[in-house]
Amino acid sequence: MPMSAALAGQTSVIDRPAVLSVKNVDFYYGEHKALRNISLDFPERCVTGMIGPSGCGKSTLLRVLNRMYDLYPGQRATGEVLFDGRNIIGPDIDLNRLRARVGMVFQKPTPFPMSIYDNIAFGVKLHETLSSSEMDARVEDVLRRVALWPEVKDRLKASATALSGGQQQRLCIARTIATKPEVVLLDEPTSALDPVSTARIEELLDELKKEFTIAIVTHNMQQAARCADQVAFFYLGELVEVDSTDKIFTAPRESRTQDYITGRFG
Amino acid sequence: MSDPTQHTVKSYEQELELLKSIMARMGGLVERQTALAIKAIVERNEEAAIEAPELDPEVDELEREAEMLAIRILALRSPMAVDLREIVAALKITGDLERIGDYASSISRRSLKLDSLDGNMSMTGLKNMGRLVQDNLRRVIDALTQRNRDLAIEVWQADTAVDELYTAMFRELMTYMMEDPRYITSCIHLLFVAKHIERIGDHTTNIAERVYYAVTGQMLPSERPRGGLKTHPSE
Repeated sequence: MPMSAALAGQTSVIDRPAVLSVKNVDFYYGEHKALRNISLDFPERCVTGMIGPSGCGKSTLLRVLNRMYDLYPGQRATGEVLFDGRNIIGPDIDLNRLRARVGMVFQKPTPFPMSIYDNIAFGVKLHETLSSSEMDARVEDVLRRVALWPEVKDRLKASATALSGGQQQRLCIARTIATKPEVVLLDEPTSALDPVSTARIEELLDELKKEFTIAIVTHNMQQAARCADQVAFFYLGELVEVDSTDKIFTAPRESRTQDYITGRFG
Repeated sequence: MSDPTQHTVKSYEQELELLKSIMARMGGLVERQTALAIKAIVERNEEAAIEAPELDPEVDELEREAEMLAIRILALRSPMAVDLREIVAALKITGDLERIGDYASSISRRSLKLDSLDGNMSMTGLKNMGRLVQDNLRRVIDALTQRNRDLAIEVWQADTAVDELYTAMFRELMTYMMEDPRYITSCIHLLFVAKHIERIGDHTTNIAERVYYAVTGQMLPSERPRGGLKTHPSE
């Protein structure tokens, strides 16, 4: 196999079947139309990076994917988001169940004001009944997977708010994967973190994508280049272009994508 | 999106422009070196033979400047898409240009030696090769400065003729050498000259490939198709 084919392995994974499939979605904040006819597939166990200038709709789309917008009156989505054969923006969807299967990590770490242990156990208890030894095992397992275990194993009962920003964000990722989701959504997960903590989260994404389908919104183009298998570029509520990461950053098809990623924007 | 030709960060734009102007300057110098070299050998012009190698230090200096600038941009600006392609192309193109300059100098030096040797070879073959290669070099530098993919692909396809002329010259010189061993020294010098001209053609083709990639984002096929491409690989 030639070297380039081995490197191109990065591009072929995006041909995997889609776990989430967005079809012709429009989104409204009251009268304002924030997304226009978006269609986008999230291939299984791939990282999809979503980039674009502020207000382009990338975070809005993320909020559609687990119906976070339902918490706000006046916000509505039309179209279809297929997940496991069902349209999750349609009626009769169990939102708690949906949000356990499609987990979300936010820009700023949002630990609950409780112990490190309980931050993880809390969400799990909502969906599963585990014995205390099973729960201990679950907590240890997810803390190990986010590489936080060695740092916190002796103070699981300590308050999560005493952790550093980077540790808190890894705890939030651990909390999200503890409910065994299929999809993990990350909304600028490292924008409040220093470079070392950022590198750890990015390293973690590489591990997590072996098991989960990941969508990450980022303002940091280098981060999208480093982490994503495919990248979607949004502008003014439209999906301008989606392609493999190397294609987007070396030879994008659309001039608007090129103008944005090369920094030739207004 | 206001003016899509300009970077939001002006100093970045200026650095990219500087890199392009270094390449253009190198291109001009190397074109001149090649013209002098061909003149030196075909017309036995001693002045030209002396002048060509004198341009080497400036070409080398420009190559170093381009490399330092390209590394600086890569490190500090994280270039993407067309910018990234142009910078990588610039690194390779300046290397090719520098090699072309070296071959031109080498041809010039050999032309001085030929004067003191026996034999009165026909210069027709070299003249034709020289004309073709100079023409291709001029066009590829135009393609480079104009970002012209059509011109790049024309040059890329034109090198086959140079290769054929070289093969013909090789046979011709071989025949001379077999006829009279006294010609061997001059024929060997001429054979090197022909080979150098052929190599200049190859580096010119490399530049055409780089220009095409920088402009379109598509690589030309590794083998030149016989009879030429009917359409662009990117279409």
